[in-house]
Order: sequence, then C-alpha cells, then structure tokens
Amino acid sequence: MQPALTNQLNNAFTLFLSLLVEAIPFLLLGVLFSGLLLGFVDERKLVSRIPPNPLLAALMGSSIGFLFPVCECGNVPVARRLLMQGVPAPAAIGFLLAAPTINPVVIWATWTAFRDQPEIVVLRVVFSLVTATIIGWVFSAQKDLRPLLQPSVARAIPLPKPEFSEKKLVQANTPLLLQSGTFMLGQPGGAVPIESLLQDDWKPLQTDQTEKTSKRSSMFHRVSKERLRLLLDTMVQELRELGGVLVIGSAIAAIIQVGAPRELILNLGQGPVSSILAMLLLGAVVSICSTVDAFFALSFASTFTSGSLLAFLVFGPMIDLKGIGLMLSIFKSRAVVYIIVLAAQLTFLMTLAVNLHLG
Amino acid sequence: MNLKKISPWLDALAILAWGILLLKYWITGKLSILIHPHYFGLTLAGGIGLMVIGGLKTWELLKLDRTTKQSRTSPANNSLRITEVEHVTLFPPSIGSTLMLSVALIGLLTTPRTFTSQTALERGLTESLPITRLQPQEFRNTTKPELRSLVEWVRLLNFNPEPDTYRGQKVKVQGFVIHPPNLAEQYMWIGRFIITCCAADAYPIGLPVKLLIGQSRTTFAPDSWLEIEGETIVEELQGKRKLIIQASSLKPIPEPKNPYDY
Repeated sequence: MQPALTNQLNNAFTLFLSLLVEAIPFLLLGVLFSGLLLGFVDERKLVSRIPPNPLLAALMGSSIGFLFPVCECGNVPVARRLLMQGVPAPAAIGFLLAAPTINPVVIWATWTAFRDQPEIVVLRVVFSLVTATIIGWVFSAQKDLRPLLQPSVARAIPLPKPEFSEKKLVQANTPLLLQSGTFMLGQPGGAVPIESLLQDDWKPLQTDQTEKTSKRSSMFHRVSKERLRLLLDTMVQELRELGGVLVIGSAIAAIIQVGAPRELILNLGQGPVSSILAMLLLGAVVSICSTVDAFFALSFASTFTSGSLLAFLVFGPMIDLKGIGLMLSIFKSRAVVYIIVLAAQLTFLMTLAVNLHLG
Repeated sequence: MNLKKISPWLDALAILAWGILLLKYWITGKLSILIHPHYFGLTLAGGIGLMVIGGLKTWELLKLDRTTKQSRTSPANNSLRITEVEHVTLFPPSIGSTLMLSVALIGLLTTPRTFTSQTALERGLTESLPITRLQPQEFRNTTKPELRSLVEWVRLLNFNPEPDTYRGQKVKVQGFVIHPPNLAEQYMWIGRFIITCCAADAYPIGLPVKLLIGQSRTTFAPDSWLEIEGETIVEELQGKRKLIIQASSLKPIPEPKNPYDY
C-alpha cells in the first residue's frame, strides 16, 4: 500500500511540475502582452474602434486574439486588462474565450497535428469563433456587468450611464433593506451599493504621464522610463497573482489526473453523444495549453469520433481546471458557471452535428 | 518588519526562484522528464525572462530601500513614483507570491522522477499506439528489424497488427521492466512512455517479453532499464495472439537521460 501511495504522490508531483513548467512561459507571455496593453496602448482609442453593435463587438473581440498570440494561461490577464480599460463586455468576453484558439500559433500547431484532416483545423477555428461570439453577445444583455465581476475588477470598470440612472430611480423607491446586492457600509448617507462607487469620478487607468506623452493621432504611447517602470510593476503583480492561481489549478488538475484513472474517462463511450461528453470532460480535466493540445487530441484520434476531438479542441482551451481558477480572478463564480454551461452546450450542439452529418 | 514591506521582496524572490528553477531544469537535463524537447527553447526563454523581471524588481527595491534610508527625513520624495495602478487581487498579495515561492523552492530542493511501471499498468499497457504525427505513411520493410526502437515496433504493429508478419525477426530494444500481475512468471513487458507535449499526456506502450526456460522475471526488478535482444515469436497471451519478444540476452542499462520517447 505504502509504495503505491508514494508512486501516486510522485506521479502527481511530476504532473503538477510539468503543467507548471509548460504553462509559465505562456503565462509570462500573456502578462507581458497585458503589461504592454496597459502601458503603451491608448485604451480610449482602442475602445473607440470597437463597434457599438454587441454582436459585431463580440466578433471583433473574438478575432483580436489573432493579434495577441496567448494561450489560456495568458488570455486572462489581457482580457481582465481590456475590461478594466473600458472595452465593452461582449468584446472582452469574446476575446477571453476565443484568444486561446484564434491565434496563429495554435492554428499552426493544429494544422501540424491534423494535416490529414484539414476539416478539423477549419472547424476548430469556426466553432471557437462562433461559440465565443455568441457567449460575448449573450453577456451584452447584461448592460451593467459589475454584479458579475469580482469587486476589485468591478470598481475599476466604467458603468454605462443611462442604465445606471434608471436603476438608481428604481432603487430610490425601494427600501434599503429590500435591495439586493453588495453594499459598502460606513459611507456618508448610509449603506451605498458597490456598483455606484466611483461612478462619477471614474477615469481609465492611467499614470500621471499619460496626458503628456500620448500623441493625439497614435494609438500607442511613447516609450518612457516611467512607462517601462509601470510595465515592470504590472508584470510583477500579475505574475504573483495569476501564478498563485495557476499553482492551485495545476495542483487540482494533477490530483484529478492521478486520482481518476484515464480509462474511466475513455471508457465512457464511443457513441456520437457519449464520446463528445467524455471529451468535453477530458478537455476540462486535462488542463493542457492550447498551443499543444492538438497533439494531445491526436493521441485519441484513432479511438474517438471527429466531433468529440473537435469538442476537446474547442471546449478545452475555453474551459479547464486552471483556466477556471484564473477566470475567477475576473468573474464571480455565478458568471463563470454561466460561461461554462453556455460554452459546453454550444460546443456539444455543433460537434454533435459534425458526428451525425460528417462522421 | 511588517507584511507590507516584505510583500514586494516576496514577489521578486518568487519570480527569481521560478527563473532559476526553469534554468536549473534546463541545465541539469531534468526538463526532459517534464516536457517534450520541442518546448525546451520556450522554457529557457521563460526562465531568462523571469530572471530578468525578478532581477529588475530586486534592483528597483534595493534602490528604493537606499533612497528611503537616505531621505528618511523627507518622505515626500516617494511621490516621484508613478501613480500606483489598482490591481486585482483574488487573495492577499503575499499568498500568491508565497505559493509560487514555496513551489519553486520544493522544485529546487527535490528532483522530479519519471513515471514508474506501476503508472504504466494503471494507465493501461498496450502495444497499440494512438495515431501520432509519426504514424508511418507506408509499410517499408527496409529498416533492419534489430535497429527498430520499441516505439517503432509498436508503430509498425499499429499499422499492421497481424503478428505473423513479423515472426522470426531480430529484436534489440531498450525500455523499463513492467510486471503485469496477470501474467506467468516467465513473461514480463518492456515499456516506454511516449509524450506529445508534457508529462500530463504520457502514454505507456510496450511489448511482452518471454524469458528463457528456467528464468523468472523476479530477477529483473520492475522499473529497471534493460536492453533486450532476441527474436520475435507469436503466442497466445490472455486469449489474444500477440507478438512477443523471445529474449536471448537481457542487459541492464542505466536509465536514459531522456526517459520518454516521442
């Protein structure tokens, strides 16, 4: 019994380290892009280029991933930064979900792996784009995203003004005790809903140098010593925060991988429906980076249906154990559950269509 | 010293420690236990990147420390620093860096170990290979059988699973010993783990080995590495006709630097 336990612990530790060693360079890349976005891109100009239509905004957000080749360890800091800089929710959520797949590195890796089945490469891109755009669009129904965000992110993002004034009117007529939400106590005038904080004096994140250094015409700021220091500070703080979450996520993934025998997941089925369900589960459990997951999926190509491989390739980069940990640094758990359920349903429906009509 | 003062130092240390850990794995060759060689360059770049960031942060902290010491009487000097940007914190800042630092320290003090034969048994030992990038595109009989590695044998079997095709060929393969509990004492498996990206997708493959009459597998401990020479035979094992290596020589070898195959 003892050696078996030592063996399991040893395996879990090796798995845990391997996930971390592979993910940390990508995390660093993501944090670097996030820092560059904060320090050198004029967020107001970026925001002004995103179309007002929520569907188009979601589609554009999903496609921005092409400019930021980050995988699921790196997209969270960038998406969080986009939200905090006032990028509309559909675009930010579209980016969050699509960026790990809709980027040149991942498409190239998928092509290398599935050269014999080009339809997998094309459908992976199309399905990811569709899923991310639809989810981003769905979230546009929630005009004020702040109740779904972690309080610290919520405080940093702007609030759409017209909706807020209506809400204020409704709330003014409702006794304070009957109102739901999060309140700050000890404010002048009694308890104040957290959504209303910083509403009037909100400004995009900026340094005292922003105004002086930014050129009117350019979307990018000039490189200065102050901005480089800001880049360093941002990278350090995000590495600390997301690195901590990554450690916890990888530990959970390693424990599950060692605890639950892989055959259990594999034996779940070969049928058009059960194989997709098994692969959705595997995609979420094996928190493997999207740049390399095509090779991993390839190892199941002989035993699993094409639709289920696609389910793994589309759903895995959007939702996995360590990604969920990272997503919780932006959203409250309720919103993360919405995203998981929506992504799973959409992926399931599209890949089932592949199994039934193309397979 | 209070937590607020220690926290930036913890950040810098955690990042530096991870940089050192990645470089250590690269220098000591332990990286091959964790990830596919394709990603070595990325890890090396990541390690250097982390060292640079950790180093710059440490340098900044040291400089700041000196400035505060010099101008203890005029703390207004601190206002020279740019406006702090509010950062999202899921848990108190020191916890994130403490977690990262502790894992890095554990990593620096211990050495990751390769998966064992026990793991191979748990993951399901097969002589069939899932389709990989290196799937043979055509059947070529030109390679000398004794030059084929274990993975190449498995790849061939995967292409053409009829064991009789390979009957009587010479074999010389390297791998680690596995003792499946449901086989007679005269049989064991020789195996390798193959990975496509990292240890998370390690997949055991192998071939059954038949020892000479009178030999028992207890002589060859599980997980020990062997170079086996012999000839292929076909026998029924557990109700299935299988290609088996009839071993004529079993030479113990040290565990290879890179235990996985690809």
